Amino acid sequence: MFSYYLQLGLRSLRRNPVLTGLMVVAIGFGVAASMTTYSVFRATSRNPIPQKSDVLYNVQVDNFGPDNTEKGEPPPALSYLDATALQRAHKAKRQAITYPIGISIIPEDPSHLPMQEGGYATGADFFPMFDVPFVQGGPWTADDDEKHASVAVISTSLNNKLFDGGQSVGKQVNVDGRLFRIVGVIEDWAPQPLFFDVPNTGGFDEGASLYVPFNRAVDLKMPNNGNNNCPKDPGEGWDTYLHSECIWLSLWTEIPTAADARAYREYLTGYAAEQQRSGRFAWAPNVRLRDVMDWLTVQKVVPPESTVSLIVSLGFLVICLVNTIGLLLAKFMRRAPEIGVRRALGASRKDIYAQFLIEAGTIGVAGGLLGLLLTGLGILGVGLVFPERIARLATVDPMLVLMTLVVAIVASVVAAFYPTWRASLVQPAWQLKSN
Amino acid sequence: MQIRPILAALRRHKAGTILIALQIALTLAIVCNALFIVHDRIDRVNRLTGMDERNVVTVQNRYVGSTTQFIPQMKTDVQAIRSMPGVESAYVTNAFPLRRGGWSTSVQRTDQDRKGEGVQSALYFGDEQTLKTLGVRLIAGRNFTPAEVRSFELQESPAPAQVIVTKAVADKLFPDGDALGKVVYYYKGKPSTIIGIVDKLTVPWIDVDFMDNVTIMPLLHNSTYQFFVVRTKPGQQDAVFKSIANTLYGTSRMRVLPDKTGVRTFEMVRSKAYEADRGMAILMTIVSGVLLLITAAGIVGLSSFWVGQRRKQIGVRRALGAKRSDILSYFLTENFLIALGGVVLGVILAVGMSQWMFTHFEMKRLSLTYVAAGVAILLSLGQLAVLAPAMKASRVSPVEATRSV
Amino acid sequence: MLKMNHLAKVYRTEVVETYALRDFNIDVKEGEFVAVTGPSGSGKTTFLTIAGLLETFTGGEYHLDGVEVSNLNDNARSKIRNEKIGFIFQAFNLIPDLNVFDNCEVPLRYRGMKAAERKQRIMDALERVGLASRAKHYPAELSGGQQQRVAIARALAGSPRLLLADEPTGNLDTQMARGVMELLEEIHREGATIVMVTHDPELATRAQRNVHVIDGQVVDLAEEPRFHAHAHTLHHG
Repeated sequence: MFSYYLQLGLRSLRRNPVLTGLMVVAIGFGVAASMTTYSVFRATSRNPIPQKSDVLYNVQVDNFGPDNTEKGEPPPALSYLDATALQRAHKAKRQAITYPIGISIIPEDPSHLPMQEGGYATGADFFPMFDVPFVQGGPWTADDDEKHASVAVISTSLNNKLFDGGQSVGKQVNVDGRLFRIVGVIEDWAPQPLFFDVPNTGGFDEGASLYVPFNRAVDLKMPNNGNNNCPKDPGEGWDTYLHSECIWLSLWTEIPTAADARAYREYLTGYAAEQQRSGRFAWAPNVRLRDVMDWLTVQKVVPPESTVSLIVSLGFLVICLVNTIGLLLAKFMRRAPEIGVRRALGASRKDIYAQFLIEAGTIGVAGGLLGLLLTGLGILGVGLVFPERIARLATVDPMLVLMTLVVAIVASVVAAFYPTWRASLVQPAWQLKSN
Repeated sequence: MQIRPILAALRRHKAGTILIALQIALTLAIVCNALFIVHDRIDRVNRLTGMDERNVVTVQNRYVGSTTQFIPQMKTDVQAIRSMPGVESAYVTNAFPLRRGGWSTSVQRTDQDRKGEGVQSALYFGDEQTLKTLGVRLIAGRNFTPAEVRSFELQESPAPAQVIVTKAVADKLFPDGDALGKVVYYYKGKPSTIIGIVDKLTVPWIDVDFMDNVTIMPLLHNSTYQFFVVRTKPGQQDAVFKSIANTLYGTSRMRVLPDKTGVRTFEMVRSKAYEADRGMAILMTIVSGVLLLITAAGIVGLSSFWVGQRRKQIGVRRALGAKRSDILSYFLTENFLIALGGVVLGVILAVGMSQWMFTHFEMKRLSLTYVAAGVAILLSLGQLAVLAPAMKASRVSPVEATRSV
Repeated sequence: MLKMNHLAKVYRTEVVETYALRDFNIDVKEGEFVAVTGPSGSGKTTFLTIAGLLETFTGGEYHLDGVEVSNLNDNARSKIRNEKIGFIFQAFNLIPDLNVFDNCEVPLRYRGMKAAERKQRIMDALERVGLASRAKHYPAELSGGQQQRVAIARALAGSPRLLLADEPTGNLDTQMARGVMELLEEIHREGATIVMVTHDPELATRAQRNVHVIDGQVVDLAEEPRFHAHAHTLHHG
């Protein structure tokens, strides 16, 4: 019977090409708008490290106090004092302090211009903790951290620029006039959202091309290339700065079990209480230990534009559906005589349901195909609407294609329920009576 | 036109009536809010910086190498730029309007840690050519002299003896309008005297609540990272834009001028600063346009169906003496009544949606002008959309009355 | 074949109850050709819609082919309509979007019949009404008489036990009407049970038996000399 209904549906759709076209266009536009904005929303709200997101925790300790914080939320970064104290205590399986450094790489060949690159100063644990994929060598060691060694891990892109992609482990890289020995080359690793550095990047940025040990960077007074917030004037000089309450460092930890996480939280509270006793904090302990997804939520990495445009697009789809319900109602009720005859000739209500829902389904398929085309165009045009760093994340993949089609078909079949129900109510006696 | 018989007829077409009204209501809710967002964003995009933005070129620069003394090279660079043909004036700074990054601090009238008294102000470093280069107008006091321009170190607090502030800062600190010559404090223990007041200049950010609070300080910051701001002679912007990188590399190659953000005209700066707003405005305009089209098409479709369904009835009316204009106005009135119901519901939805976005996305509340405009747009859209089907109805011949279905 | 006992049909509105049929009794035997006559509004069409299971009734009993149908649900009623009953309507009721062949196919489709058998039956039926050559035509391209013959073919294709006709010639001119009547008589001679509703006494005389309905009740006309009347009408017609 399916093919019979399909045939009837197609025939009926061909009968009113304008009405059919209108419904297909409405479904197509509604679905395309929703899927395009959804692709952006999906990209901005996705889990950047699904395999470990629930064992990685960002640490926050409130050293600003209630007067300098909002709604009791501790500042989004740590002071040098707190970050290094917590790092030294070594209470988690892995931990790494991180801050962004703005650096220039000076190529060996003097005829090449220096290059500005993004970098991070961090610890040895950073790489295994975040599953950073290496293509050559490996991370530096805890020993390198201890010895404040001049070592570096570079990205494949930088390796291509400096060494034409060749073996570079053991070679030197000149960072602002200082030499670092390369111990490893990683893939161009930039999980999106860039969860480990949300406060400085907003969550979306290209990855870094150079990583150096935190201890060495501090020795070299490599300036912080990210946000710096001070509750009061820190005074002058690098050492004064390090001992100030200015916040500029993030501390990430890997804690494998929930019980350990509870213990770590207690430890953090204890640490803050200690600071309160010593007179440094004039307030009760206010600490946070948040896993990746909680952190991304609290930091609001999904741009409001993304959510607002998704909501508006969904509203748009709803209107397109209401529109389609109206048009289908008109179309189906215009065929009340036919329905009456079919019922008289033995069609059950179920038969009428099947016939009209399949007809609506074919509109959905057509709308879905149009929607797919428009979604493709929409995603090409996302760059007009969203900043490039976000727009480039919106892509068409098989999942999106499938969703577009399914949403279109489901939407049109849902839209057809009421008109079909009305059609099935047409009495078989209708035509006899009307004469 | 009698309204009661129309309402009676509509009761017999409940589903269709409700669907059209609902569609109009939802469209109104979305279009009002979308157009309001467009308006709001366009307002932002067109916000004035207080600068004369024509003929300005900016350069983002980072010195490389192991030296820690950048001031001499900075001075060489500024000199080199100033002597370029086509350059009117130039200076080196940490930030400028629409840069979307910079410094700010709280400035207060007394040197005490009193809370709530300070006024948040952005800090722009510059020299005697800053005002001319930005094209801002001094409304009181004087400009800096070259002798007043000092250097300061990386970890030092910027607090020079002389500052120029915007009128907004001056008025907030000294509501009586006597700010000129007064001493204020940017950092503890470091007094600064207000020697000049400029009319208007905005902060580097686009999303703060102290847009017009700016202080210009006669300072050279010993930092690897800075901006050169250049005013060119009229018609020379292009030439300077193209040759400035080479001029700088000519004084030293040990620097980085990033590909995308290195050398930019101020038009590029502005366009980049507001790309999200412009994008939102474009998206919302497209959504509103397509929505209105689809709603109009929906009304045409359903109205045509009704007209088709009622041909015989229309024929009878015509046979009983109804004029064409009577039939036409019947359908126009009918649509108007449905649309009226729709917009009433739509206004409630629009305000609700705006309230929701206000609480969740820190958006502004919908202005009533936009609701009114939306209502007017949808009512006239409805009338326009029903016009063709209604014309068709008015052309139904009285003979239809005699035909069987 | 078709037996109604004390059947009643009441239309209720907010204000009044109208009896369309009351204490309606009829018994149509297998192979009979019965004409139901009566003035406009007498309830004869209501009788036909109930007989054809197009509508439910409010009281009494109705046995169709030995089955009491009052308690059947919509699905079962659809199935009986499809398999046992053929309809011929005054307004033909062909589906304008479908051609002659596809129109005839509609009831067979709902029976889930194989394509080859459908085709065989439809071509046989069209052959019988003399329209085999018009299988690909659309209803709008046919005359009224031809359309009604397509409707008859559609009814015949399903080999119904009972053929219900509602004013089958009402929309046709005299000559076409005669053709349609001859076709019905021929179908009857081949063994079909036919119940025909008409307000035309002349047409009614061509049936084996007449049932007269007035005010929703069958009126006994057994006394009337039907065959004389028949002859009489023919003489003067």
